[in-house]
Order: sequence, then structure tokens, then C-alpha cells
Amino acid sequence: MAALPRRIIKETQRLMQEPVPGISAIPDESNARYFHVIVTGPEDSPFEGGLFKLELFLPEDYPMSAPKVRFITKIYHPNIDRLGRICLDILKDKWSPALQIRTVLLSIQALLSAPNPDDPLANDVAELWKVNESEAIRNAKEWTRRYAMDT
Amino acid sequence: MSSNVERVKEEIEALEAIFMEDISISYNGQDLPETVKMTIFPSTANDIDKQYVCVTFEAMLPEMYPDIPPIVKLKNPRGLDDSILNSLYDAIKDKCFEFSSQPVIYELIELIRENLTECNLPTCQCAVCLYGFCDGDVFTKTQCFHYFHSFCLAKHLLTTEKHYSEEQDKLPAWQKSTKAFQAACPVCREAINCDVDDLKSAPPPKDLESAQNFSVTSELKMLQCKMQELFSYQKSRGGIIDIEEEENKLLLITNSSDDSSPDVDPGPSLEQVDENNPKSSIDRKFKSDFRKTSR
Repeated sequence: MAALPRRIIKETQRLMQEPVPGISAIPDESNARYFHVIVTGPEDSPFEGGLFKLELFLPEDYPMSAPKVRFITKIYHPNIDRLGRICLDILKDKWSPALQIRTVLLSIQALLSAPNPDDPLANDVAELWKVNESEAIRNAKEWTRRYAMDT
Repeated sequence: MSSNVERVKEEIEALEAIFMEDISISYNGQDLPETVKMTIFPSTANDIDKQYVCVTFEAMLPEMYPDIPPIVKLKNPRGLDDSILNSLYDAIKDKCFEFSSQPVIYELIELIRENLTECNLPTCQCAVCLYGFCDGDVFTKTQCFHYFHSFCLAKHLLTTEKHYSEEQDKLPAWQKSTKAFQAACPVCREAINCDVDDLKSAPPPKDLESAQNFSVTSELKMLQCKMQELFSYQKSRGGIIDIEEEENKLLLITNSSDDSSPDVDPGPSLEQVDENNPKSSIDRKFKSDFRKTSR
């Protein structure tokens, strides 16, 4: 395997030394491009109190291409589908090499605070979010309580 | 009081005569000068290509100025890191103290300009490789005053252009953009125009070579264990997405219309309604998983 780019090493060190509150990202033992991530559900969102596991992979030409990120813990959110895939512009056409692992994860955390049912990835969830928001929020809370707790 | 007004008027007139259109003055309701604003560059004999830093100086003049010093703000710093800005603020404070009760704006502008001239090398990091600029590094200043190693910026430009043309190739003819590829600054997304061929011949940044290697620490190992524990716990509660299972569910939507068998998951459908639970069947599936694991 090719040597790890310096930028990835630098980002990893900074993630360990100055972690972002509510977010932890640590590299896998056998593959330093694969990160195990935990994002805590933001306060005053239906995901509050949840610990969501994600996986993040830095492709060969990172930071020229966006990291690949996916939820591993089940989550009820209009912009996250059943497979945990995330609909977020900075992971697609709005990627910039000035973004980093930490800024990507912060954006994902912000997406939890601001679901956008008008740009859905999980159609059934988005539909309910639009026609009956309070029920959708109840579902999101229920899924958080059921699937995303630590003890 | 009136002598203060006179002194301020004289000072403003002098500033306008010296800096002409570079300086802007705003006035309050009584037609008295309120704020003085000017973007300051290092002195490079007006060679704009050699100006690598800049800052916008804004001085609010209190009613009692110059008996009371102006309130100075430094805005939109470019190529300057926080430590330089902080030392600039300290120098401004000292200068105001030295010139207490005297007009001080011209002195402040010149003080900032001198400082910028001294540190006319971007002290920030290259946002692409996250390393600084060493003596001898070839770097580029964008029109928006952001800095990149030419080597790093070339990589960005080549990749985004490649991605753009790949996306265009995928589109049907009528959806293709008529616009040519427009490069954007990685930091602020402003349009930038650079000569890629020139940039890509630059050597890689020097700091990269001296960076230290990565090693797995015991702290990291401990964190990995904690993550594994959380994963196992959530898995035991059915909280982990099973990609294979989810993909099969999606396949079943089109193939199965049988909702009665308890063993087969019929997949999600908006029409299906349970008597107790008016939610889609996928929710029922999660509920039964939950009952199984919590027993």
C-alpha cells in the first residue's frame, strides 16, 4: 500500500489532540484511511441523547475527492436512507479540498439538527416529515432511544 | 468641545488628501465623522502581485475623540494568522497610548502598513495540504487573497476540471451545460482564473517532507476498544444497519405482495397499515427484532 499522505496523518493527529465536542473519529487499526466515527445527536433535536456510529473512508485521491461516509446505526431521518447513505451536497458536487474530516462530520451533525424533507433520500420518511411532522419527530425519537443508546 | 471638532475635521481632511479614494469616511447625523475605513496592503511600490497580505482597518471615533482613543477593528484579514493579528492589536493599543489626546489615525494606518510589509508572507496554512509556507515554497495568491502551494492548487484545478467533464459526459445532450468549466477557490468558492500548466510544474511543499509519521498509540487502541463495545451493544439491540438485509428488502418491494406470512419481510410500502400501528411494515419488522433481542 502506498504511503499515507501527510495531510491524512495531520488530520488524524488533530482529531485526537483537539477532538470536536460531540464527535469522535478514530482510524482503523489495519487501515488508516478507514475511520470509526461516533456523532452524538444534537441538543434540541429528536436525535438528542443518541450515539450514532458512522464509517468514513478516505478515497485514494483524498482530499481532491470527498470522503465516503455512511451511518452504521439506524436513524430515522429524511436525508439518510435505509442503508445509512447521506444526502449532503458537500459529500458530492460541493466538495472542496479545504474541507476536512472534522468539517464533514460537523456538517452531518448539523444535518441532524436541520432535516430537509424537500431534498429527500428516504422517501417514506420525508413524506411523513412533510405531512405529519410531529409523528415523524416521534418516530425519530423512538428510533434514537431504541437503536442509538450506549447503555 | 468645539476645538475637538475642529481638530477632527482637520485630521480627516489631511487623511483624505493623503489616501484619496483608498480611505472612506462615514458621518453621523450631525455631519461629524464617525468611522474611518481603509483596506491596508504592505508597501511593495504598488506591485500588487507582491502583496500577499492585507487587512481592513476600521476606526470608530468616539464623541470625545481625540481625548478618548478610537475603537479599532481589523476586519477581513488575508494571509495573517491570529498571532499576528493579536500582536497588531497590541501595537495599536500602545500607539494610541503614546498619542493620547492627539489625532492618531494616520499613525495607526502607517503602523499597520509597516507591520504588513514586515510579514508580507502568508502565515496561514495551505487549505489543501494543511501545511504552512516555507521559504522557497512556490505558492499562489488567488484574486480573493487565499493562499495555496501552486502544487496543491494545480491538483485541485485538475481534479475539479476532470470531475466536471465526467459529470457532463454522463448527461444527455440537452442537459449538458453550455458553460465552460469555471475553477473555484477551495476556501470561498469565488471564481478564480489560473494557468494550470504553469502551476503544476511547481515542486511539492517543503513542510510535507519533514512531517512525522503516523503510529497507533495506546490511547488510540483504547478508543478503538470503546467504539467496538458501543458497536456490539447497538448490534445486540438491532440498531446496526444490515446492508445485505436492507438491500433484500428493497428487492422484495417489487416481488412480493404477500403481507400475511410472519416469516417473510414484505418490505416497506406506504399503503400497508397495521391495526395497532398505522405505520409502514418496516417499522413492525424493527419492532419484532426489538422484542427478540430484548427478551
